[in-house]
Amino acid sequence: MQVRAIALGVSVVMLVAILLASRPSVLPAGALPAHTADAANGERLLHAGGCVSCHASPGADSETPVLGGGLALETPFGVFRAPNISTDAVHGIGAWTMLDFVNAMHLGVSPGGQHYYPAFPYASYTRMSFEDLMDLKSYLDTLPPAPHPNVAHALKFPWNIRAGIGLWKLLNLDSAAVVSVPPDNTLLLRGRYLVEGPGHCGECHTPRNWTGGLEKSRWLAGAPSPEGEGKVPNITPDKNGLAGWSQADIEYYLESGFTPDFDTVGGSMAEVQANMARLPAEDRAAIAAYLKTVPALH
Amino acid sequence: MSRLFITSILTLVFVSSVAVAGTDPILARQELMESTRDAAKVIGGMLKEEQPFDAEAAMAALKTWKKTATEAGDLFPEGSDTGHDTEAKATIWTDRAGFESSMANFNTQVDAAIAASPDSLEALKVAAGPVFNACKNCHEGYRIEKED
Repeated sequence: MQVRAIALGVSVVMLVAILLASRPSVLPAGALPAHTADAANGERLLHAGGCVSCHASPGADSETPVLGGGLALETPFGVFRAPNISTDAVHGIGAWTMLDFVNAMHLGVSPGGQHYYPAFPYASYTRMSFEDLMDLKSYLDTLPPAPHPNVAHALKFPWNIRAGIGLWKLLNLDSAAVVSVPPDNTLLLRGRYLVEGPGHCGECHTPRNWTGGLEKSRWLAGAPSPEGEGKVPNITPDKNGLAGWSQADIEYYLESGFTPDFDTVGGSMAEVQANMARLPAEDRAAIAAYLKTVPALH
Repeated sequence: MSRLFITSILTLVFVSSVAVAGTDPILARQELMESTRDAAKVIGGMLKEEQPFDAEAAMAALKTWKKTATEAGDLFPEGSDTGHDTEAKATIWTDRAGFESSMANFNTQVDAAIAASPDSLEALKVAAGPVFNACKNCHEGYRIEKED
């Protein structure tokens, strides 16, 4: 009887501890470094992150991104809707402070203190430096407002309970790098940063475990498509992956959209490739170098 | 007598269906796309600087693309949307105007590339770039992504 009471007590304490630990927490005021934001670098990061592919207003196809959101992402959990991240003060993020933005990108927490769903890939963006996030925000600040109201996600039970995201974060939100590279190799460090951070390549190319987090032991080894049908390819240097591709092949693919066999890029990757094509060649070279270095997984 | 007649008819049907298969638009367009891709390898190999620039070989490849631009549009008749592992997407028939304008764009870019008569690697890059983009754009809208 006493044992049972103790067990119950311990369970309650643990449950409360988990609930407390999984509440949204944000960075304290003053957490940001002194930094003069560089909007040009922010634009480069916008392309590296492919922000436009999800957040562009439907039909917007201008040179200047219009980020009114609205894209529907159909997943087994339900339909996610990319929100308005334009400078509109009401519907977009025009009224956000720099710290609000960093909290969203680094911790997945909204200015109102709510957890974001990880369909917004902050589990990758959490690896971005605060300076880069500040540069990105300063670039977004230069873009036009889009007055589109946000459309709510339509998720199935139990995914519609946001508190669950806190638990997900305890298990899966980690800003540590995934693959170790020599600390003096600036090319590989840059490639790792782009792939594991802003590029969020692992979000589709790495399978997920039962908690919905990325299975890091299968890093970039290919996965079922997050949108249900088909498969996302293995991009490790395995014979099932990119073993037959030279570093130059990967660079050329990211630049032009053509495989070594001169087939064209397909599916969701077409958008990604178009974004990668807008990066400086040195960034594509860094990505290619990193992809040739990650552990080959079958 | 009647059995012989039926057998003859069946044989005729069989033979003519084989003959028709020889001009099956799906097989014909697959062959055409294969040659298009081979030409892309020639030009792409130069652009990637895996092969030395060769103006004659480049022009021959451009002319192969011109053949595709001329013939491909007619190889997607109604009813040729299934069979032979075709990667043609239903949008070809549901959005015929879009498909045709996409093919017309390919033709325009190929014509421009041939007219430019590229005599250096730099010139070839400039001439072939828009054609490559035309390939990609059309595939994006009108081709199914198949798993290998």
